[in-house]
Amino acid sequence: MAGEAGGCRSSGVLGVSALHQYALLFGMVLATVGFVLCLAVIARSLAATKEEGAKDVPAASGELSPEPVWVRYHVRYYGYALLFLAFDMEMAYMYPWAVVYRELGLVALLEMGVFLAILFLGLLYGWSQGALRRQ
Amino acid sequence: MSFLPVVLALLAGAYLVAVLEGWVSTGRFRPAGPILSGLALLGQESLVPRTPDRIFFEAGPVLLLTSALLASAVLPLGPGVVIVDLATGALFVNAALVYVMVALVMSGWGPDAAYAMVGGFRFLGQLVGYSMPIVMVIAAVAMRAESLATTEVVESQAALWNALYQPVGFVVFMAAAMALCFLPPFDLPTAPGELAGGVVAEYTGWRLAVLRLARAVLVVTVAAAVTVFFLGGWHGPVLPPWAWSAVKTLAVAAGMLAAGRYVPRVREEHLLAWWWKLGIPLALLNIFVVGIMLVTVGG
Repeated sequence: MAGEAGGCRSSGVLGVSALHQYALLFGMVLATVGFVLCLAVIARSLAATKEEGAKDVPAASGELSPEPVWVRYHVRYYGYALLFLAFDMEMAYMYPWAVVYRELGLVALLEMGVFLAILFLGLLYGWSQGALRRQ
Repeated sequence: MSFLPVVLALLAGAYLVAVLEGWVSTGRFRPAGPILSGLALLGQESLVPRTPDRIFFEAGPVLLLTSALLASAVLPLGPGVVIVDLATGALFVNAALVYVMVALVMSGWGPDAAYAMVGGFRFLGQLVGYSMPIVMVIAAVAMRAESLATTEVVESQAALWNALYQPVGFVVFMAAAMALCFLPPFDLPTAPGELAGGVVAEYTGWRLAVLRLARAVLVVTVAAAVTVFFLGGWHGPVLPPWAWSAVKTLAVAAGMLAAGRYVPRVREEHLLAWWWKLGIPLALLNIFVVGIMLVTVGG
């Protein structure tokens, strides 16, 4: 089981290669876009949009927002976002390890344990330094 | 080729979820409600705000629908009833569902409207919270199954469901699943009553119909993912496999919708603090506990 996870599953349920599987997924993307285009065409054929003044003003609770609203948004969660990057990288190593874990047994647990403990200490350190709050 | 049955099942599920969501939010059970509002939306004018980023505005809803559909393509409905049985299925679910965040940030940025933009950036923050627990919990599931293929994951639960084998992971995953579908109490990007609809505020007509369909499909897909990873997928007595998958998926979706009724919306900074100070430590603990259990008592 663990060995075949790295490559394509030649004995897959559909009996097709990995390339075919991804081609099918790509086909699904195209079909979704086509479906939405069909909806757009149907909706336009039912009724056209009337041009009327002030109809296209975005909702702003009765007051016009400054235009454009694409100003610099203060991402107050940037402390979390930086930690997120570290953990995200770590998870990329975690998946291959998870697949072969039962084959390797205790050795794998110790090796990944050290790795995770360092990361977890990093999380605790960030917490102690005030990274885990709204900046 | 099991393409057609899976897509039809998905659409039927999305319809039922739309009925359920209407029931939960308005208190009225209207089985024909989604058909009526869908037709009404098709007949409605679909306005474009005056200074949009047109590409983002149009692509947002389509991307949301695409990501939910792609994730559902690797989730099996029964033995062999799956669109693509990828060897890296569990990873692919993660990869496809990350685009939910991209879609919401795009449809928040697109219309050049203040509330929408705040909603989009809020969901980016929400992803920073819920995404790591999801990935970690799925890693623990893959450890037990010795594979990332979703069909192998279901097979590994023939004797004992993962929800019972790793209950901590199940609880964390359910909460993260609700945050991923932006269901209450994690409906920060839409936040009705506070952001006036947020990312969906500027969408009308057929574009809103696409957005609503995408959200319903997303809820079904994520409920199906919970079923596959934790509730033993198609396994169960008496009923045929597809029926068990359907029953479990709908039960999970109904549970997620009902749970949100009784909890107030969480504020963004509280949400992030809870995920990072409780959710991620619990998910890491889950990996350790599962690791020790696999070595000592076996799968």
